Amino acid sequence: MSVLEATNISKVYGSKRGIEQKAIDHISLSIEKGEFVGVMGPSGSGKTTLLNVLSTIDRLSAGSLMINGTEITKLSKDKLAKFRRREMGFIFQDFNLLDTLTIGENIMLPLTLDGWKVNEMEAKLAQVSKQLGIDTILPNRSFEVSGGQMQRAAIARAIIHEPAIIFADEPTGNLDSKSSKQVMEALATLNNQKEATTLMVTHDPFAASFCERILFIKDGKIFNQLDKGDNRQTFFQDILNVQSMLGGDTDDFQTVRV
Amino acid sequence: MTFRQFAFNNVKRNARQYLSYFFSCMFSVAVFFIYAVIMFHPAIENYDFRATVQSGITAAEVVIFVFSFLFVLYSTGTFIKSRKKEYGILMTLGISKRQLNRLLILENTIIGLVSIIAGMVIGIIFANIFIMGFSSLLGLEDSLGFHISWKALVLTFVCYFIMFELNSLLVVSTLRINSIVHLFQGAKAPKKTPKFSWILAMIGLLLVIAAYYLAWTATMMSIAAKMFPILALIIPGTYLLYTQFSVLFIHLLKKKKRLFFAKTNLLTISELSYKLKDHARLLFFVTILSAVAFTASGVIYGTYQGAEEEATANSPQDISFSSQGTDNMEQADIEIKQVTTALEKEGIDYQSLSVNMTEVLLTVDNWKRPVSLLAYSDFQSLLDLNKEEKTDELDPDEAMLLAFPFEIEFSETFDGEVTFQSENHTETLQTKTIPSIINYNLYVSNTVVVSDQIYEQFASVAEPSEHIRYVALSVDDWLANAKYINEHVEKVDTDIVYSSDKASDYLLLRNTLAYALFFGMFISILFFLAAGSILYFKLYQDLDKDIRQYQALYRIGLTVSEMKKIATKQLAYLFFIPFVLAVIHASFAFKTLQNMLQASVLLPSIMLISCYLLVYTIYFFFIRRLYIRKIQQVM
Repeated sequence: MSVLEATNISKVYGSKRGIEQKAIDHISLSIEKGEFVGVMGPSGSGKTTLLNVLSTIDRLSAGSLMINGTEITKLSKDKLAKFRRREMGFIFQDFNLLDTLTIGENIMLPLTLDGWKVNEMEAKLAQVSKQLGIDTILPNRSFEVSGGQMQRAAIARAIIHEPAIIFADEPTGNLDSKSSKQVMEALATLNNQKEATTLMVTHDPFAASFCERILFIKDGKIFNQLDKGDNRQTFFQDILNVQSMLGGDTDDFQTVRV
Repeated sequence: MTFRQFAFNNVKRNARQYLSYFFSCMFSVAVFFIYAVIMFHPAIENYDFRATVQSGITAAEVVIFVFSFLFVLYSTGTFIKSRKKEYGILMTLGISKRQLNRLLILENTIIGLVSIIAGMVIGIIFANIFIMGFSSLLGLEDSLGFHISWKALVLTFVCYFIMFELNSLLVVSTLRINSIVHLFQGAKAPKKTPKFSWILAMIGLLLVIAAYYLAWTATMMSIAAKMFPILALIIPGTYLLYTQFSVLFIHLLKKKKRLFFAKTNLLTISELSYKLKDHARLLFFVTILSAVAFTASGVIYGTYQGAEEEATANSPQDISFSSQGTDNMEQADIEIKQVTTALEKEGIDYQSLSVNMTEVLLTVDNWKRPVSLLAYSDFQSLLDLNKEEKTDELDPDEAMLLAFPFEIEFSETFDGEVTFQSENHTETLQTKTIPSIINYNLYVSNTVVVSDQIYEQFASVAEPSEHIRYVALSVDDWLANAKYINEHVEKVDTDIVYSSDKASDYLLLRNTLAYALFFGMFISILFFLAAGSILYFKLYQDLDKDIRQYQALYRIGLTVSEMKKIATKQLAYLFFIPFVLAVIHASFAFKTLQNMLQASVLLPSIMLISCYLLVYTIYFFFIRRLYIRKIQQVM
């Protein structure tokens, strides 16, 4: 059963008078339950836009989008909010934790918005934070912990309500290699053990090598698709090959590590 | 964490940001509450001044409330709109618009309730001091007594609670969210290069100069007509100065390459051009608020301080009695005796002088007015009594019209040939206007000095009813005995003798202004606080961005002391440009006041502005310390 089914979706930017720019050009794709799908492509290829429209952060210009059997484009604002609250999880490059809340409160937030009982929230929080190895920093504020811990907290927040699908936008973009590895391992484990369906945009071949399937986007269209074989090492090599074929300029794909 | 706890955490952990806003709200609630306490004070019911006091307080309450409403609306609007990225995050987590509204209203309700309660507590603490101050202001022997009416509590709470709720509803309902991605982008939208128009910049400058000119030339006669045009020029003028002229000015600075590229000037100036433009509206508000605060308090305080001189100009003699008609005079002497006896009883020294005058009709063109004639020699004796220098000899065909300050401009238009006519005699004399040295008198509005010879011609043929006796008293140290003098002068029977005393003018002026001071000062302080609060909030909002910039500059070799220099300069510009402009605005308002007053307002206004400057500078250093300390953390 497919969790996400996009048919002929387009996103056009530009004003009525100005030049129109097709960021997404009639893409169709489907993601099965429990899949871990990566989206890669050169800068400006439309990969983040794709993630934004699939995750309902941005509006579609045309096409149809079904998530878990619901036609998203036809939902009212309120229904869409409720849908996001229950069926979607988000992970961002810059973590997007609220700095007025502690790590624990940040993770609980989706349940708070859904009006859960306090003891149920706390039980769930204990379970999720333990799983991601951040149970010791729950009382800390977001600016008191490391980047890797912040991103794992963001992952915890994205999965605490057991959503149908998780959207991740460059989750390792702001992390050093060690933290990147921890975060990607956490995502992969979640995917394996909990069958958490995940769609991740990245330009980091290392992060991408944790996926099961990778879509390559160029000029708003799907250019190529790679499936992970048995070996992550060969998969990694394949990714690099497609990248050089795509852009020629491999530098564009290197992760900037601060 | 429940939804309510979430809202509470948001407020609690953002407390620093809300701090100065909270203080301003608290102060406003406290002032509103204290006035309400006095308004509903049960003891006030028994006094005959109740109506005046209550209408004064009601007016003050309305001003405070309307102002607080606008201030809270503006602040809430900026607070709520500055957190767009946070709403983006919450929307991805699936907050619905209704929940978001509920969250924001809940947060504002918490801030509102805390300010209301804190304000009322402060109000209760200081209420007694105010009640005592107010009682002595009214000249009561004892204090009205400490009493907090429940009506005051309810009124303050209800008014402010409704205000906070209404404002958050207004702001929340105007918050439009199209798609989440806009909320994320909005936070990092790049700044456009500030633009300006030469024409608008020049119009702004011209408007302000025109307003200054009008204020400079305004007089007692023209102020009513000029008031509105001055406001209509100065407000848009100030706005254009900030939005257009400031950008133009910095543009010109940038052209001076030697200045622009000198050391840290590059950073200071280029960053300032964005900040000035970004903050144009805010600086405009701060300027107008401060200008209103300075002007209102300066005018009231200046007049209050000048009350003695003002009273002297209006009543040059300490006490005067005038009676008309020969058959009245004997009776009048008895009345006057009462006052002099009272003075002697208290051991107050005085000199008295009695002069005779006659009533005549002054005619210029078709305009007639009864005046009294005074002989030149008597005029000299009166000058002597007032301890003023004698004037030059008067020719028989000359006359001097004594005019009061408020009418001097008007009287001067009659200078020249004037006809004086009594029942039995007529003369035409060359008349000029000079400031009066004698008191106002009920029977004839002005006095005209003529030569002894002319006076004799009128007096010898005057009808009994045309005779006027004027008795002037010069009292030693009248100021110290003002109350006592006024009390006894007022006992005189006005059917027989018209009395006038400097003390009553002085007391009236002083009391009226004391009310104005009482009501006006707090409103002025409130305006000033609000201006400071708006500045604080804006700086706090920019802090994150500034920190990132200084961090980047630090990496390319900016030292901490250079950072301090740049930050101090930038903060100083933002703080003191509006202050200086507001002081200039207010100075022209003081000049207008000066045109209408005899007493000098220069010293009181300088004193007052210095006080404001002192408070403002302390505030500036406080903010600077917070700001620099935050930036230092990343360097």
